[in-house]
Amino acid sequence: MTDAVVLQSKNLAGERAPSRRPYLLAMIILAVLGATLPFWVTNSPFLLILASHAVVAAIVALSLDLLTGNTGLLSFGHAAWYGFGAYAAGLLSKNFSSEILVILPLTVMAASLTALAIGAILVRQIGKTFAILTLALSQIFYALVFVFSDRTGGEDGLQGVPIITAFGQTVASPEAWYWLLYGVLVASLAGALYLRTTPLGRAWLAIKENTERARFIGINTGALKLIAYVFSAGLASLAGALFVLFNGAVSPDVLHWFESGKILMYVVLGGVGTIVGPIFGAAAFTLTEHYVSSVTDAWLIYFGGLFVLIIIVAPGGLFGIAGSLYARLAAGRETRS
Amino acid sequence: MTLQINGLSRRFGGLKAVNDVTTSIADRAIHSIIGPNGAGKTTLFNLVTGALAPDAGRISFQGQDITGWTPERLAGIGIARTFQRTSIFKDLPVVENVALSIRSRRGMNRSLMRSAATERSIDVEARDILAWVGLSSKEHIRAGSLAHGFQRALDIAIGLALKPKIILMDEPLAGMSRGDRETVATLITRLREEMGLAIVVVEHDVGMVMRLSDRITVMQHGKVIAEGPPAAVREDEAVKNAYLHGNFAA
Repeated sequence: MTDAVVLQSKNLAGERAPSRRPYLLAMIILAVLGATLPFWVTNSPFLLILASHAVVAAIVALSLDLLTGNTGLLSFGHAAWYGFGAYAAGLLSKNFSSEILVILPLTVMAASLTALAIGAILVRQIGKTFAILTLALSQIFYALVFVFSDRTGGEDGLQGVPIITAFGQTVASPEAWYWLLYGVLVASLAGALYLRTTPLGRAWLAIKENTERARFIGINTGALKLIAYVFSAGLASLAGALFVLFNGAVSPDVLHWFESGKILMYVVLGGVGTIVGPIFGAAAFTLTEHYVSSVTDAWLIYFGGLFVLIIIVAPGGLFGIAGSLYARLAAGRETRS
Repeated sequence: MTLQINGLSRRFGGLKAVNDVTTSIADRAIHSIIGPNGAGKTTLFNLVTGALAPDAGRISFQGQDITGWTPERLAGIGIARTFQRTSIFKDLPVVENVALSIRSRRGMNRSLMRSAATERSIDVEARDILAWVGLSSKEHIRAGSLAHGFQRALDIAIGLALKPKIILMDEPLAGMSRGDRETVATLITRLREEMGLAIVVVEHDVGMVMRLSDRITVMQHGKVIAEGPPAAVREDEAVKNAYLHGNFAA
């Protein structure tokens, strides 16, 4: 028994662990490809717009992983904050200012404060209760759009969002928008990866692993969950705000439970808690959704099936599969050499 | 006295699980709480560690009233516990299990600062504690892949990282092999000898309790029926009756 443990310690001790360099290299190549995308698709502006939608989806997926991947709290209603951001930013742009440097901070601040008040109640709940309450919350936001339909446009959606400015310059070209969105994604990703390495991020993981033990070593689990909830809602609202300003309009569909389901699917597809995975999950989902839905109306059936398959076969998501494949290849190389 | 319990009660529906319990835990003592199944040991343990709130009575720790405090607050003033079913962070490396506890003690749980120097000093401290419980060279193993006895030692190490003054252990010997029991028993003795801690042990294994303890509290039906050093408790009539004669302290 002891021998087995010592052997294992050697395997995991670091020196023999698969090198991180190829992983970093792959990430850098993907990041550069992403940043230079507008040069690759000059012939088809539509592709760039599709890519922009994928980037927005990636930001909102990342926001959910901040909550679920870090603390284990499962949200079935994350669209609430995405939609909140979209409507708040849309209304601000129409009624207050078209300067993006004004709209975005105000939107994120409003969402964070609201999330702080609501989250204080929600995070006391655990497991299913929390999930159901988040779903209920998103349905309340959804209903509010119709209650205030004179302002929000109700079923027709919020139309006529003006072209926005940044530092007084109009932002209209698809390329400019793509780079703006991509920049926000990269910055958010860097932030999320950094958070993971801080004492706060480590304490979150402790909560996710074993909440009871975390409490008994003095971690205020309620407060830390609330911080995660507010960060997550804030980033989701940022994604929503960018979406409405980019898209020029928003319909109540962004608050529908189906949107929440999609966001959750991005994260599960990519790998819960992997931070990078949900970004690929969102991109893969958005692209596939577009192409499959243009072939068949029954695309949801295929997605449902895929979802079930992922949960059963690869609970770690796409990123989990890639990781274990790489580890296996690296291990294979080592045995041969 | 490190820990003072006065008239503590807790009921579940009609059942008085803990009924007017008064006792005290001395500094640097190994104090065991025993009793037949359903005696209220675990409820008492949960009341003292903040997992449950009492209906009546007071608990004080070094003169400070701590009745009804949450586990988070209790950890902050040096009250640590271990769990009957070993409770560790299974998917994290062994050293991170202890580092989490150290960071928590240093009040860093909400920190967004990442300092290499601080992490180094935490790492050094964590390795010291791990070496002390016999887990050196296992720092980077996933905690869940440790052998059972080592996991129990890690559970204790996580508690120790809080620099506690008292450590409460819920059936530390439950479900362990003979060899592992000896290891844990030695560790418990060393906690007092080398760390100067007070240790409260709730335990089924009466034989081991007799060997280890300075003082024993015997509970039955939620009440304390006997208290004293092992030799006195062994001869107590009420205790013999509670354990249906003969079965006790074999």
